[in-house]
Amino acid sequence: MLATNGPLLPLASITAAAACLAAAGPLHAQADGRWRDGEQVYVKVCGHCHESGVGPVLKGRGLPAEALAPITRHGLSAMPAFRAAEIDDQALQALGDYLAQTPAPKAAPQSNGGKP
Amino acid sequence: MADGPYVALPPNVDQAAFTTAVRKFTEILGAENVLTAQEQLLPYMKIMMPVDEAQHAPSAALIATEVDQVQRIVRVCNEHRIPVWPISTGKNLGYGGTPPGSRGQVVLDLKRMNRIIDVDPDLCTALVEPGVTYQQLYDYIEERKYRLWLDPPAPSAIVGPVGNTLDRGVGYGPYGEHFMFQCGMEVVLPNGELLRTGMGGIPNANTWQVFKWGFGPYLDGIFTQSNFGIVTKLGFWLMPAPDVYKPFAVSYPDEADIVPLVDSFRPLRIGGVIPNAMVFVGTLYEATATIRRSQYYSGKGATPEEVIRRIRQEHNIGAWTAYGALYGTKEQVDVSWKIVTDMVRGSGKGTIITEEEAKDNPAFRYRAELSRGNMTLQEFGLYNWRGGGGSMWFAPVSQARGSETLKQVQMATTILNKHGLDYVGEFIVGGRDMHHIIDVLFDRTDPEEMKAAHACFGELLDEFNRAGYGVYRVNTAFMDKVAESFGPVQRQVNQTLKRALDPNGIVAPGKSGIRV
Repeated sequence: MLATNGPLLPLASITAAAACLAAAGPLHAQADGRWRDGEQVYVKVCGHCHESGVGPVLKGRGLPAEALAPITRHGLSAMPAFRAAEIDDQALQALGDYLAQTPAPKAAPQSNGGKP
Repeated sequence: MADGPYVALPPNVDQAAFTTAVRKFTEILGAENVLTAQEQLLPYMKIMMPVDEAQHAPSAALIATEVDQVQRIVRVCNEHRIPVWPISTGKNLGYGGTPPGSRGQVVLDLKRMNRIIDVDPDLCTALVEPGVTYQQLYDYIEERKYRLWLDPPAPSAIVGPVGNTLDRGVGYGPYGEHFMFQCGMEVVLPNGELLRTGMGGIPNANTWQVFKWGFGPYLDGIFTQSNFGIVTKLGFWLMPAPDVYKPFAVSYPDEADIVPLVDSFRPLRIGGVIPNAMVFVGTLYEATATIRRSQYYSGKGATPEEVIRRIRQEHNIGAWTAYGALYGTKEQVDVSWKIVTDMVRGSGKGTIITEEEAKDNPAFRYRAELSRGNMTLQEFGLYNWRGGGGSMWFAPVSQARGSETLKQVQMATTILNKHGLDYVGEFIVGGRDMHHIIDVLFDRTDPEEMKAAHACFGELLDEFNRAGYGVYRVNTAFMDKVAESFGPVQRQVNQTLKRALDPNGIVAPGKSGIRV
């Protein structure tokens, strides 16, 4: 299960994560509506929840791509499902590959909850 | 693509006839864009409502990328009497989600129609296709360094202006009432013809996105919250970036403070001193940005009042928190800020919190981001409050009058608590009206809570209707009930329009309770 019931994300971590996302914005622009790589999918979609304490941390957990795909496609609890029309199979694979090799964030944000 | 059996079939269409239609869809879109397998359709079945997913299972999903494909699809749907439920970015969280309004409809997925056709930095207008997300448009504007701001709803990055505006959704900036700032549409009519509303009817017009009304009856409204056509392009206005942006909050300690809060801010909103769609947020709504229910209470039923009081004290959260923002030149903002602070201090109620004072408070931060048109999904913390993935927005319209808002809060709290659920609510201020937005949160993995949530939502609709209130929008499981509450004449007029424009009833039957 990806969801955790860890303690609250410290405020400083939220700010750091938000700043990181903001800084990443222009580099990972998706203005043409096409995915360039897995990192871009992560920053433009997943990171908004999974780096802000809303959803559990995904980075640095060695999550296998094959575990990620069904959760992305079907959703989990309140997490929305993401269709192939939004994140195509190739982009989803790239996202899995990207996450599989990312290190854990230094100040690891923890989810503020959410039952699986 | 197989010839069946299918996950579901449209009403009164047998497997052989559906297979024929699927083959025609495949000729139009290619096999890879016609989805009928269970595994392919699962992403189209995710719901948050307290009903069985099977009631909303689609028979197929069609992924279109071009307008002419949409035209050809509706012709096939007419030929075979196949109901087709269009989606744009396909989220509509808490209002029905991605699935069709009823079992067996074909979903027409327009997510990959995601061209930003035009953004005019001088006239501050945009024309986009249904699959464009706010994130995509945000990046487009950033890349070009246009001084334009967006006005997203809370799920900003993953949803888009076409779907949100067509469902008459709202945001948090000065353009927060989205449909007011919409200008020009392209619509595939149920017979396959292509309508461009307003000035778009004139060949080579360059005024389609600058003048809303065109000539003759104003038609755009009938394509919102309706099923009279499939919108394939939407024009709307963007806000010029101000020199100065000053978000602020005012915290009120007592529940009854909603009365002076609403009454004191109303003149500033109607008078234009505060230009944005202010939000007045109740304790638990505010709390969900940082905490979840189980940290304080793990019992069944509604969260006890003393627990809510403890949350207020320990997290320094008001009974109500008003969020607003000022926009303009420094001189303009300085003058307006003095008016706001004089009003609050003069009222003897409320504590003003500036951006500097709020520091990194996550609730203040995401509210400030939304009113500024930035991308944030922090509000999804709501779903962690109770957990379990159940959510329906109960959204009655209220007058912007303190006595009315208090009455609605008390009514809603009583009914929610009776069913073991919490009041997690806020008011989004439109000036003279307020959208009273209550997230009916429940655990979809708990059958008892599913039942309670369904019964609760029905009772909320009934009791509010009895008191003379109606909702501005509702999820697909309750659309008929709400359509009924607005009276038989409105329903008959909608049906007359439906019969005229869509005699076979193929586009989204049941949307807003409208059928042939």
